[in-house]
Amino acid sequence: MSEIWIVVKREFLERVRTKSFLFGTLFFPLFFIGIYSIPFLVGQESRERRLALVDEAPPGVADRFVEVLTTVPPGADADERDTYRIERVEGRLADLRASLTQRVQSEEIDGYVAFPADVVESNSVVFAARNVGNIGVLERIDDAATSAVRTERLRRAGLEGAQLAALTRGVQLQTTRITATGETGGNAFAPLIYAYVVALLTYFLVFFYGVSVMRSVLEEKSNRIAEVIVSSMRASHLLTGKIIGVGGVALLQVGIWALFIIAAITQLDVLAERFDIPPDLFTSVHLNPGVGLALVGFFVLGYLAYAAIFAAMGAAVNTEQEAQSLQMFVVLPLILPMLMTMQISNEPLGRIATVLGLFPLTSSIAMPMRMGVAEVPPLQIVAALLLLVLTLVGVAWLAGKIYRVGILSTGQKPTLKELGRWLRAA
Amino acid sequence: MMQPALLLEGVSKRYSGHLAVDDLSLTVPPGTIYGILGPNGAGKSSTLRMVMNIIVRDGGRIALLGADPAREREVLRRVGYLPEERGLYKKMKVLDVIVFFAALKGLDERQARRAGQQWIERMGLGEWTNAKVETLSKGMQQKVQFITTVLHDPELLILDEPTSGLDPVNQEVLRDTILDARRRGKTVIFSTHNMEQAEQLCESVCIIAGGRKVLDGSLREVRRSNRGAHYAVEFDEQAAAAEAFFRANGRFHQVTRQGDGWLVELAPGADARELLARLVELEVPLTRFEHVQPSLHEIFVAHVGGATTPHRRPEPAHV
Repeated sequence: MSEIWIVVKREFLERVRTKSFLFGTLFFPLFFIGIYSIPFLVGQESRERRLALVDEAPPGVADRFVEVLTTVPPGADADERDTYRIERVEGRLADLRASLTQRVQSEEIDGYVAFPADVVESNSVVFAARNVGNIGVLERIDDAATSAVRTERLRRAGLEGAQLAALTRGVQLQTTRITATGETGGNAFAPLIYAYVVALLTYFLVFFYGVSVMRSVLEEKSNRIAEVIVSSMRASHLLTGKIIGVGGVALLQVGIWALFIIAAITQLDVLAERFDIPPDLFTSVHLNPGVGLALVGFFVLGYLAYAAIFAAMGAAVNTEQEAQSLQMFVVLPLILPMLMTMQISNEPLGRIATVLGLFPLTSSIAMPMRMGVAEVPPLQIVAALLLLVLTLVGVAWLAGKIYRVGILSTGQKPTLKELGRWLRAA
Repeated sequence: MMQPALLLEGVSKRYSGHLAVDDLSLTVPPGTIYGILGPNGAGKSSTLRMVMNIIVRDGGRIALLGADPAREREVLRRVGYLPEERGLYKKMKVLDVIVFFAALKGLDERQARRAGQQWIERMGLGEWTNAKVETLSKGMQQKVQFITTVLHDPELLILDEPTSGLDPVNQEVLRDTILDARRRGKTVIFSTHNMEQAEQLCESVCIIAGGRKVLDGSLREVRRSNRGAHYAVEFDEQAAAAEAFFRANGRFHQVTRQGDGWLVELAPGADARELLARLVELEVPLTRFEHVQPSLHEIFVAHVGGATTPHRRPEPAHV
């Protein structure tokens, strides 16, 4: 035990003492905040979009369109604050199309909207622009055009003026999440943000520190330090000490970040006021001490399993280049739940989410995501943790064997057949 | 007889395809300096690695300070091992790396720090105590590695090619520490292909080639049993008579000029007394007639000669 502790201590102190640890610990949260606040800050500046309008529709329709489009709705999100400057162009689209296209190309205008004469019947409006990928813009134009055409139809049906406005008023959606304990208020997007943050953070930590273990193994192997150490202690103890030591660094870093977050939560009222964050942003994220404990469990077990795999990989290869080509396969199951974030947060109890949450190589990322956005049956959580523990034992056993032989061997990268021989020999 | 510091009985090691160590037996008496000699690729390092339980032997018995290193690993803590290919953590500070390795051998940290500092001073690395290993020259790194080998004051030192890569001054420093360890009753085993060095230091040797033992024993025994029939002959002056004598007597297997005289190797069956009597009869005064001890180098070449493999085989996985 004491020799494991000596290795743990070395791995831990040698990492924590470096400037890059200090820098990473401080920089990463700033980076995160930066990424999430840039669109926020940039979004505050509304843009003016210049559109030409070709109006062949019955009188009043285009007027109504311009009115809706140029009025900024109260309480609008940042991307709905863009303003539109409409320039009416007389004539038919067929005649004007070439000149309008040319004006868009020369960037004199951003695009044009054309209402055909039969718009009420055909129900179609033309929008052409350099960029038609901005969902916010498409929605605004769609809304305004729909509203204009609908109003015209209602007018033809005999409705007029104020009566019309009152009848066509849109609703505002109030989202409420129902949990076992009852209703909670909250922001609909908070669970999605939470899922992203948890997934990204776990992925980053498991990958970063897993690679760190691998590099460390590779250093001992290529510098022939392994030979000296193995003549003093068991290879399995060296491996265990290394993984625990590096894991300790990861936990310390997470701990420091957790303190930041707790500090931020206690000041949430102040922050909410200062940065315009809805104060109920996090109430719809499902977190309690039990879930918190399970989160730590998934993180620690996930890290251990991947660290063992990375260590075996470091022992099997001779250079970082060789390691990189193998890394891809290891990282694949880590990326999978990241790609499925939408599905998991939309249907946290659905089939995909359940499978990813139970499968040991993805559960350490998928399960925390699910647990934050819904109440996952405790049996599933226990089962996932149990599977993870079993996998960890198996992986550690295999990795230990590859490691024992690998750290002392040099020369060619082993083939699969040779790896098999290593397993039998160790 | 006292328990040997190291005993090998019929030890062998096979790598995929070739036999690196073949049925090797040797005995290292305690409190001596023992040399394992052989050309590159003879199996020296493989033997020492098996002793240190870094690689697993395929057969035979090893008793290291009376214990089997594969079963009773604790015995390895009483041994200091300097591997052929040195390895230190490049990013660590010199004293820290020394303390780390000492701790693995069971030293407590404060004690290790104090002893480490002393060794650093002794090796003339005082100003580098807190420098990172990577900033040191190769020779200095070797000295640091050597300190990690001896710091826990082991009963037995196993040094694999300890002087390779060291300049003459540092070779001298290393030699002194080996002799010092011997004075304090420790056993030192080292491998080398430098015969001159082995001759200066060793009390006993074992010469191996192609994984097999060629000969072993105390240096004196080895010399005596390999003395052969070499005689150094010198005269008072450069005598044409002597020259003529050697030319005329083809019975003398081989005659070579050596310094001011000749080195004569008697043919099998020839009698040295007869040679002496004939030389005395010459008109020139004889000043030297001596039965010459062969150097270790000569013994080595005589035995190993063709078995020398000039190029190292690529090292296979240590399965």
